Amino acid sequence: MRSRLRAWLENRLPRSDSWVLTQRNLYILPTAAGWGFCGTLLVMLLASINYQLNLGYGLTFLLGGAALVSMHQTHGNLRRLVLHIKAPAPAFAGESATLEVVLDNAHGERFGIGLGWHDGPRQEIAYCDVPAQGQAMVHLRWAPPRRGLLNLPTVVVASHFPLGLFRTWTVWRPAATMLVYPAPEPDAPPLPASTGGHDGQWPARRGASGEFDGVRAYRRGDALRQLVWKKVARTGELVSREDAGSASRAIRIDAADAGLADVEARLSRLTAWVLQAQRQGQVFAFVLPGLNLPAAPADEQAPQALQALALWPQVVRA
Amino acid sequence: MIETSSLPAASPWAWRQWPRETRDVLFLLAVVAWITAPHFAHVPLWCSTLTCVVLIWRAQLALVQGKLPARWMVVGVLVLAVALTAYTQRSLMGKEAGLTLLVLLVALKTLELRARRDAMVVFFLGFFIVLTQCFYSQSLASALGMVVAAWGLLTALVMANMPVGRPALARAAGIAARTSLLGLPVMAALFLLFPRIGPLWGLPQDAQGRSGLSGTLRMGGVADLAMDDTIAFRVRFKGPPPPSEALYFRGPVLTRFDGQEWQASLFATDRDPSRPLDLRITGTPVRYEMLLEPPRMALIPLLEATPMLPTFDPPLVDDTPWFGRDMMWRTERPVMMRLHLTAQAWPHHALGVTPNLRELQASRFLPTGFNPRTLAWAQALRERLGPVDERTVAAALMAHISQANYVYTLQPGLYGNDAIDSFWLDRREGFCEHYASAFVVIMRALGVPARIVTGYQGAEQPDADGYRVVRQSHAHAWAEYWVPGAGWQRADPTAAVAPERVRTSRALVAPPGLVAGALQSMNPALLARLRQAWELMDSRWSQWVMTYSRGDQFDLLKKVGVKEPDWADVSRALVIVFSAAAVAGAAWAAWDRRRQDPWQRLQRRLCKRLQGVGVPASAHLGPRALAELVRQVHGEAGQALATLLEDLERQRYAPGGQRLPGRQWWPQVARALRRLPNR
Repeated sequence: MRSRLRAWLENRLPRSDSWVLTQRNLYILPTAAGWGFCGTLLVMLLASINYQLNLGYGLTFLLGGAALVSMHQTHGNLRRLVLHIKAPAPAFAGESATLEVVLDNAHGERFGIGLGWHDGPRQEIAYCDVPAQGQAMVHLRWAPPRRGLLNLPTVVVASHFPLGLFRTWTVWRPAATMLVYPAPEPDAPPLPASTGGHDGQWPARRGASGEFDGVRAYRRGDALRQLVWKKVARTGELVSREDAGSASRAIRIDAADAGLADVEARLSRLTAWVLQAQRQGQVFAFVLPGLNLPAAPADEQAPQALQALALWPQVVRA
Repeated sequence: MIETSSLPAASPWAWRQWPRETRDVLFLLAVVAWITAPHFAHVPLWCSTLTCVVLIWRAQLALVQGKLPARWMVVGVLVLAVALTAYTQRSLMGKEAGLTLLVLLVALKTLELRARRDAMVVFFLGFFIVLTQCFYSQSLASALGMVVAAWGLLTALVMANMPVGRPALARAAGIAARTSLLGLPVMAALFLLFPRIGPLWGLPQDAQGRSGLSGTLRMGGVADLAMDDTIAFRVRFKGPPPPSEALYFRGPVLTRFDGQEWQASLFATDRDPSRPLDLRITGTPVRYEMLLEPPRMALIPLLEATPMLPTFDPPLVDDTPWFGRDMMWRTERPVMMRLHLTAQAWPHHALGVTPNLRELQASRFLPTGFNPRTLAWAQALRERLGPVDERTVAAALMAHISQANYVYTLQPGLYGNDAIDSFWLDRREGFCEHYASAFVVIMRALGVPARIVTGYQGAEQPDADGYRVVRQSHAHAWAEYWVPGAGWQRADPTAAVAPERVRTSRALVAPPGLVAGALQSMNPALLARLRQAWELMDSRWSQWVMTYSRGDQFDLLKKVGVKEPDWADVSRALVIVFSAAAVAGAAWAAWDRRRQDPWQRLQRRLCKRLQGVGVPASAHLGPRALAELVRQVHGEAGQALATLLEDLERQRYAPGGQRLPGRQWWPQVARALRRLPNR
């Protein structure tokens, strides 16, 4: 019941990539310490009344005044702060991704602002200070639970500065989405054998295979064995062998070859294969039911393939 | 923040290199030491020692960043402390026992600073301990000490809520000060208007713990008081002040003597209206004003003889003092508040001219078996003097004291069982109570009714406001003996041995402390002046702030036009003030919410008007886009409006241009809009 109510309240919030904290979306309540302080003040007041201590009244009211002011200061510590979230890079399901939240402050200095996930545990909060007229950036870690185009989880921004008697917080639903690839299968079987350019769209670009291995600058995704180590040692630059041999032997990654009953498991295996092909710099064609990507070099092909895997069964035309 | 690494390693500012955890804990420990130290005078020695040990241990742990002791250990120490409290205080209830436990608890809690919650417990206990200092003193000095303590605690609290980095202590202290200062109006309103209601329940008996005078007298009792330099009250005379040697402020009269201890007369509290007090006054009265620190006893020491009820301002709440047969003013309950009163005294008076036989009987009684040598000495005196009247006997005794090498000293040492024998005949060293009790015992031995009167004698020189300070060190004991036809006569045997004690009102002075002594020897005048200035401030503080009470609240309301205010009016005023503040706050919040950029306001206004003429304007469109839309919808008819909108665009985005259009722009737009057909 409680969680349903919470979900209902959460769903009423608009999604937005920048979130201006105003009185309308900031909440404030006394903390447990606040109630404790209230109790202390009451006891102090009783003692002052009973012993007719004017100085005791003075002290009690001084602290009471400070507590009241601290309520406004706690609220003011978040009010008029502007939060932005950066569109996050794609990640794999189950691995933790880092999201960047920027706190933009056009006013005075703010202290002890805590950011965390709404459904996460209370202890996992990242604290930061924001300088006056400045910005602060907070990295939040999030492990996407599944693949797909996911909404970012709801963020809670809270503060109990300065006295910890009150906690003010806001609940923010970022509008940004995150592309989450399926989790690659650990210890996946090796890539399917080369199909020898069987779809004919990838002719032997450089004549007879194995005739000449050129060199080129290192590109991300090049396998270690592709590096021309002698040249690397001599020049200090990373240089890869243009492995025409492997490039010409285009392979085909096909959902039909994955051979697993469970759809998600099959997608995981395909993901692992795509990654493997990318690591080896393979030219590959990619086939999912309803999608047929012709053979292309791994660096171009992999993002598309991974996106298709993330979104399947929604089909994305390349 | 201070760049710590740039400091040399051997810098005297080593604390700057402590890790934040160490520094914060040490700061908190210093604050805890500051708030518990004033209590060391009131808690048993073992408690203060244990507190110090625990605090030092914790500080050491913080410095070496060692592991905190296990919980069972802390609980063990706590159990031991509770047991010791129960043993030394004979109870776990009551103020003293509670305070002992509280001081220990806060010290022990510092050994357990694991989570935020633990720190919070220290803060809350700390605030309460700060408050308990008011039980002992509400002077300006203790108020300043409490402000420092509260500031320190708030600073530590702010520090606990700044989780990032290593904020400078001064920064946190600044934030704490700012928070408290902003809260001052709230404090002032509450202080002025919070209804002062009487005690909610009966005060525990231990509230009488400290007093200027005790109701009993035992050799040595007044010596302790004499060391106490705190202020008992201040007095100001209207008209010429009486000489110092006539300033006797009357406290309890002690009649019953059991050989060791003097106790109050049983007749003094007789309120039977059929036996009125026989007090005859003559001459002109002396009018005076008094500002009493809370006497914490059920009595008010007034100048001899003040037979008429003083005027209390603020009035005493549901307690009317009454005049006892011993000429002392009593109250029903111990007076726990400061008193401000005006009264009249008649220096020329005769008390108890009509003999009250039972009272006289009691005033002649001597227990058998005590001080035999003094009694023998008295008999010898009687034989030497022959049949003379009481006054002659008293004069002979005074003459004996001034001639027989008696010494006035505050450190006479301990006297044994027959204290008066060894004082009067052997050592001859003592102060007022020794002389007074010896005098009374000898008078009684000679058959003259006599009794001890305790109170205060003398006063200091007037300060700038004309108030003369009377300290606890002015506590005094003198004697009264009864003369047929003349009543009770005052005799101050101390005046015979140390006339300056009475004549120049020099208070009983204990040897000065180290610092005061050094200052005194360097520049006594400066010390005296500093002290005078401080006491003047203290006097004003207690006069204006600490005696603030229900009467002052009523006066305040009268000033703003409330006729005959009562406490309900005071509460109402408080509610009104806070409601007004809340309404003002809400109004500000509403205004703050609507407050927006003038440009945005203009744009919203424009959109609304354009939608009125059928242009699908929305807030995210710039003026140029709006102009485009106007042209699309209205064609040639919208040309004027579109031009105006393009003007706006140019004005807004031109380099160095104004952000907002001039004053004529909006009327032009309105005119152009009116010319368009409504859709």
